[in-house]
Amino acid sequence: MSEIIKIGLPSKGRLKDKSLKVFRKSKLFIKDSKRNYLSEINNFNPNEIIFSHAREIIERLADNSLDLGISGYDLLKESLPGIQNNIKVNSRLNFGFAELVVAVPNDWIDVQTIADLEEISFEFKDKNTGKLRIATKYPNLTNEFLLSKGLTQYKIVNSLGSTEMYPFTNQSEIITDITSTGATLKANKLRILKDGGILMSSACILVSKKSLRNKYKKKVIKKLLNKIKKKG
Amino acid sequence: MKSKKYSDALLNLFKKKGFKVKEFENIIESKIIIERSGEIFKKSLLSFEDDNGKNFSLRPDLTISACLDYIKNVKKGVYKYAYFDQAYRRTFGKESLVRNQLGCEIIGSTNLQLNLEIINLIDESLKKITKNKTTIKLNDINIFYSLVDSLKLPLRWRLRLKRHFWRPEYFNELILRLSTNSDIQKNVFELDKKSYFKMTKLNKSKTIAGRKISEILDRFQKKIKEPRSNIDGKKVVRIVREFLKINCSFKNAKNELKKFEAKNNLNLKLENFGIFNLQFKNNDTVFSTNIGRNTEYYTGLVFEIYKKSKNLNLASGGRYDNLMQTLGAKTKVPAIGGAINYDNILKL
Repeated sequence: MSEIIKIGLPSKGRLKDKSLKVFRKSKLFIKDSKRNYLSEINNFNPNEIIFSHAREIIERLADNSLDLGISGYDLLKESLPGIQNNIKVNSRLNFGFAELVVAVPNDWIDVQTIADLEEISFEFKDKNTGKLRIATKYPNLTNEFLLSKGLTQYKIVNSLGSTEMYPFTNQSEIITDITSTGATLKANKLRILKDGGILMSSACILVSKKSLRNKYKKKVIKKLLNKIKKKG
Repeated sequence: MKSKKYSDALLNLFKKKGFKVKEFENIIESKIIIERSGEIFKKSLLSFEDDNGKNFSLRPDLTISACLDYIKNVKKGVYKYAYFDQAYRRTFGKESLVRNQLGCEIIGSTNLQLNLEIINLIDESLKKITKNKTTIKLNDINIFYSLVDSLKLPLRWRLRLKRHFWRPEYFNELILRLSTNSDIQKNVFELDKKSYFKMTKLNKSKTIAGRKISEILDRFQKKIKEPRSNIDGKKVVRIVREFLKINCSFKNAKNELKKFEAKNNLNLKLENFGIFNLQFKNNDTVFSTNIGRNTEYYTGLVFEIYKKSKNLNLASGGRYDNLMQTLGAKTKVPAIGGAINYDNILKL
């Protein structure tokens, strides 16, 4: 029996380029895919490459419409437990490094730690001006981290982009965001709290757990991962 | 059917003592909880939006439902609630989303006798229906607050310890940090000092991300004026840890606390605490400084009741004098309540 192995890869940007490089270095040749969201590895068992949004790859692995994929560790950890339970992290790759951090305006000179932030959150509560607002694209990781650090009096503002400008446009007071060098935060007059590191992320190879329960797919996935491991 | 037998028997005993058995609304507006209690509650709410984008939740807890009922329908005076119904919370796969909750609340009075009434009622009722001997464990959270106030600590650390008493795991992290003095980073602090002088020249009423420059400068100054040495931190942590180990018969509680006071040269102002005057019907009553640390809203007396031989928790509760205002009451409405650990009763 030969089933088609479905592989999800990021559809744009550096994540896409570097993911393709991993396959190329492993001598797995993917057909030109510049204008198409579908492709395949020429020299491997029957397969299909599907180029998708990195967040979508995680959801499709969880519902098993993909067997294997490359996406960000941050996006996996942000997903709901029900999704994470269906996905196995095979390996972390050597690109896509970034850290999810808590950042406050530079001029909040009295705030160096989450404990300071906690006090500020009570100031907002006591002033009756509403809760301290935290803009983020990562509400689940942010909640989990802040609650574990004792911060409870805040409100999440879901952001879809340009999160760094939220504190200066009265959309939130502080933010959590992903950063690789910290340059964008600095340029936007924000600074990372001393103990404000939420999660270190990188690209990783993820496998659908359901696929691993299928004998044929498990064998082919193992073969593919071995090739990537040796050369990738 | 064992379940029905127990719940009916308990509710009947409560009714005989003047409690009114109430049913509450299944759905509440989420903002009542979120706006006042923040994300920690939001996380566990089972919520949905209506066509107008208004967010609603299934009731997460029946103590909260009783409080909301009082605010909406009773409004003033003393009201005694009893209930047995379901509450719904997200549990992230750990437990069932539906919890059976059986409990009673007295809302609207600070009378010390009511503390006694509710504990004795729950204890006697449990003994009657389960035919088991019980142990009562007691504490008053304000004794811990009094301890914190008597320690040589900066105000912000006092507030921190009080605010997080109810979260033992995080509390332990906090006291570790207190013993190592790690909340001021020297190099960042020097940079901030430069910014401080620049900022003093700006318009103090200007706002930066919701905070006035004057507020930021005030807090910065307060922070640098309240330095503390490692030795103080370590000493405080030792005292706090020693305090949280006090566990003795209720009759000896005041003496034990006095010994602790004398040893550490503190004044806990024990004469202010009515708990020591309570007379319980159950002779097996224990005082423990470490109980009542799992619920945010308790403000004073807390209790737990156990099956004597197995140390199985059968009920717990306490005084929550600030919750009503948090949920929207215009004035402070004191309250006390207790919940039966229904699943454990069914195990007996």
